[in-house]
Order: sequence, then structure tokens, then C-alpha cells
Amino acid sequence: MSTGKAIDVVKRRGDRPTESFDRDKLHRSIHAACLSVRSADGAALEAASRVCDVVIIWCEARSEVTSDDIRRQAAKALTVFHPEAAYFYQHHRMIM
Amino acid sequence: MDSTLILIAILALAALVHASFQLSVSVLTLMSGHAIGSRTSHLRLLRITSGFIFGVFITTLLVVSFFTYCFLSFSKLLDARLVWVLLAGLMISLGIAVWLFYYRRSDGTALWIPRGMARFLANRAKKTTHASEGFSLGSTSVFAELIFTAVPAAAAAYSLITLPLPLQLGGVFVYTFVATAPLFVVYLLIGGGHRLSSIQRWRETNKRFLQFAAGSALLILGFFMYAYEVIGMFPVEGM
Repeated sequence: MSTGKAIDVVKRRGDRPTESFDRDKLHRSIHAACLSVRSADGAALEAASRVCDVVIIWCEARSEVTSDDIRRQAAKALTVFHPEAAYFYQHHRMIM
Repeated sequence: MDSTLILIAILALAALVHASFQLSVSVLTLMSGHAIGSRTSHLRLLRITSGFIFGVFITTLLVVSFFTYCFLSFSKLLDARLVWVLLAGLMISLGIAVWLFYYRRSDGTALWIPRGMARFLANRAKKTTHASEGFSLGSTSVFAELIFTAVPAAAAAYSLITLPLPLQLGGVFVYTFVATAPLFVVYLLIGGGHRLSSIQRWRETNKRFLQFAAGSALLILGFFMYAYEVIGMFPVEGM
């Protein structure tokens, strides 16, 4: 599934320019989070695709979202498909 | 109690306090997470993490040796009791500071270190792909944590200078081994295929206990040093 319209993503703290929503980028980060908790590659790809679909549906009702919004929604969706990876995805910025 | 035993007890407790600080463990967890997430082979993961631990080990060894050398060089100029008062005071202050501030009041295991330094370490952890980079990251994380570890390391160093030479050398190595022991544990868990999420979850669940234990150990060590070395509450037999 891809977005039907362009969605602007406002970066964290607003210190970097706004960019367009990139499904592949989100897919890569979810995939990496699943692999980090030793998930099998197939399961990681499956979870990443499902999470991306959920996030895209959530984004379509909005014209502008923040990167934190995307992260929050992705973590919420990932909790359903892969709770261990969701924990690591949510917490990896808070490790130190 | 024999004075050598007292000095060894100070050294051992200082090493345990040092081991309870968590920055290097956080960096190791983050670095391993990124390496596994980017499909790095298990052998390379072990090489990177070994490099990191070796970096922490060598730098900690050098830091303690540096403090020992400084104390040895200036031992004739320094009043021993004054140095112990200073170290005990710093130890007690640090203990209270650790109780109050060590972890940030948020989810996760974020520490009270400058945010710029934390971001730098996180970025380097993400980009580390070689053992040599792991080594330098380990070394950097020791320097970033010096705000907490300098006082126990200095107390250990000052205990070491009055011990006989073989015990001094052994003491530096034992201190470094004990201080880096948690990293070896995490290394074994990662090498054994444990999930990073369970390691991180354990750390997060127990962070308040670790904080309380580290702060309390610093206070106990501070009062112990003050009682034995400053006011001589328990004089050595035969003196």
C-alpha cells in the first residue's frame, strides 16, 4: 500500500527541514527493530509491511504529521504484530 | 583489622561501585541493537562488542593507573588525612547526587549525562561496524562516565599507593576486571543469543534498585573511608 497524496513530515524538534513521508524508510526502521530482537527475516518483513500499512492509513487523514507521531503510531501498530520489537523500537532512543 | 585489608576493602568496594554505573552497558546494548538490526554476522557482532569491551577495559586501566601515578608523584606534598577527607566528602556528595539524579525521570534508562554527549555516543554506536571503532567508542564511553566514576577510581588509586608493589599491580587489574564485569555479562548474553529487548527490559525494571544500590554503596564507602582513614575510629592493632 502507498500513500495516495503527499504527506509532509515535520522532523523532531523542528531543527531539520520538513520532508515527504517515505514508506521505505519506515519499513527499514521497523524491519531493523524486529531483527534487533532476533526475529526471523520473513517475520520481520511481514511485521514491517503490516505496520507501514497501518501508519499510512492513519496518515491519510492528515496533511502534515511529525516524525514523533509516525514513531508513536508505528510503535502502537507494532505492539500488535511483534510486542518484543515494539518495546525495543519505542525505547531505543531512551537507552542512554 | 589490618591496614592492608582495609585498603583492599576500599579498593574492592570502589570497584563494585564503578561496576554499578551503567553508561558503558547502555552504549553496548545500543551498539549491539544496531549491529543485529543491520544484519551484521554473528562473528562480526562479537568482534565489535569485544573491541568495545577491550576499549573500556584498557581506558579504565589507564584512568586508574593515571590517578595512581599522580598520587604517587605528589604523595610527599599531600597530607594523607586531607586527601582522605576530600575523597570521603566527594564520595558522600556523589552518593547523594546518584540517589537523586542518576537516571532521568522518564521511561527507559536515560542517564544524567550531557545530552550532546549522549547523542554523540548514540550516533557513533549506530555507525560502528569495525572492532577498532568499537574500541574507540568503548574508550569514549569511559571518559563520558568520568563524572560518576572519577571519585571511586581516585579512592582506589589512593588505596593502591600504600600497598606493596605486587599488590599495586594486581589491585589495578582486579579493580578494572570488577569495574568492567557487567560488560562481560552483557557480552555473554548477546553472544549466547539472548534478546536485547529482555536485557533492556531487565535494566529498566531494576534501574531504581541499581540507582539506590550505587548511591548507598558510595555513601557507605565514604563513611567507611572517613571512619578508618580520617578519624581512625578503629585503630590498627599494635599501633
